[in-house]
Amino acid sequence: MHKVMMFDGGVYRIVELYELVEDVGGFVIQKTQIQVGIVVTLVVPEEEIPAIEKKTQELGGKLTDVPLGGTEIAVVAPTLGRHHMPHPVCDIAEQLRRYGAITVVMGLARGKGRQTAQISADEKATIEEYDAAVFVLGNFEDCIVKEKIRLFESIEIPVLVVCGPEIDGLPNCEGLVTGVPRKAERMRRAEEIEKLEEVAESLGRIITTRRREKDEDPLFVHPAEIRQRIESMDVVKKSLRPAPIVLHLDGLRIKIPFEEWRDSLADIEVFGRRLEEVATISGARIGGSTLIRILSRSEVQARDARRSTAAA
Amino acid sequence: MKVEVEGTDKFGTDSYVALFNGILLDVGLTRMVEAVKFIVRPSDPLFLISVRTRKSMSLVKISEIADVSRTESGTMVTIRDENYAPRLLTFLWRKYGRDMIEQLSRLEIFCRGVPEHDISALELDPGEELRSKVLDAIWRLLPEGFKIRHNISSENITTVAATEHDMKKEWIELASRVHSEMGGHDA
Repeated sequence: MHKVMMFDGGVYRIVELYELVEDVGGFVIQKTQIQVGIVVTLVVPEEEIPAIEKKTQELGGKLTDVPLGGTEIAVVAPTLGRHHMPHPVCDIAEQLRRYGAITVVMGLARGKGRQTAQISADEKATIEEYDAAVFVLGNFEDCIVKEKIRLFESIEIPVLVVCGPEIDGLPNCEGLVTGVPRKAERMRRAEEIEKLEEVAESLGRIITTRRREKDEDPLFVHPAEIRQRIESMDVVKKSLRPAPIVLHLDGLRIKIPFEEWRDSLADIEVFGRRLEEVATISGARIGGSTLIRILSRSEVQARDARRSTAAA
Repeated sequence: MKVEVEGTDKFGTDSYVALFNGILLDVGLTRMVEAVKFIVRPSDPLFLISVRTRKSMSLVKISEIADVSRTESGTMVTIRDENYAPRLLTFLWRKYGRDMIEQLSRLEIFCRGVPEHDISALELDPGEELRSKVLDAIWRLLPEGFKIRHNISSENITTVAATEHDMKKEWIELASRVHSEMGGHDA
């Protein structure tokens, strides 16, 4: 399994780190240089971390784990009204970003109320484009246990529920963090920061489980490798949108229009194949973006087998 | 501030009390609210809140806070007490419209075509601003989906019962009873 790590150190001999990462089959996904200091985000195989740690010590840097690195998370509130925003929804989103995730805050169109709370098929499909969803609910146990669980009952990605009342467990979700009720101010007290950390750690566990599941039938190619090939495209370089390429657990979101760039993306070469042969490329529901979902090795094999049978 | 709570969900009601304190801080009403009563029954669903504020200042005549003088084409108002400036300007805009009221400088307002005696006779009601702030705080607090509301308001007490579907007669009666217990009378 690959892990996302962050190197924080100096630029002196940094090339040695890049070479080591490449040698062990990892990738550099981001470099941020500030004068003589540099922060590098790496994706490396789990078993090679000791070698990277050793090199980091040699270079006088610091290596930290980024548990949610390489993921895009949807933080979903019942609505975008001031009853739910900006606290605690934005506080949670910010905390997840500190743990390495790219986050998107979403409000449902008709999520307010008790019995009247609804989620549309379109909203569900949009949420399912992300790696996991965090649903931030309210204060009343009766309301959450009896009614709000419908909001996330058939969502196919992992769901973490964050709510106020102490509930033992909820159906339809992979994780539950209680003790975060509606708030009128920023979560900045020690106990509130602990809660935010609990949310991030709980989501980290869910993502790790998801990564291990994916590892049982590994992807044909790691998303970071596709990213390296895509980021040299002019349209991506010139993109003014924040984070034009976002890594997912099983693919990428590229913030360029699908209709216009589908052929160029399909033709990208990946280990002697066209990208189209090893991934599905589709338009994202959020306009102007393209989703790439990389197939697993067994899916590619099955596809190849079907093709050769058809050719024969 | 005296807080009274009745509810079927202890965590829910307690956290709404904490939330209300936060909202009062936000809107700057902490010292103005004397007593609050919550009745929260999420399974009904009913959310009732009654807020009693301190008595606000009495009506203020414009001639007490500003110099009013006649000119050829209207009336000039020169504000003496700056605290009232934004409130007075808003009041005049609302009463005569923006075409007739012109703010010449920070403390000078020109009322085109309005006779001097009309302006001198006007009175500002500081209590109105307080009531609107209390309502704002209550609307921020109420669960967002509880759109069916019954409001009772008297001089310094505001009571709001809110629910999701139909407002039952017994809840309206309960709201009136709570309003009276807080010291108010239906208006």
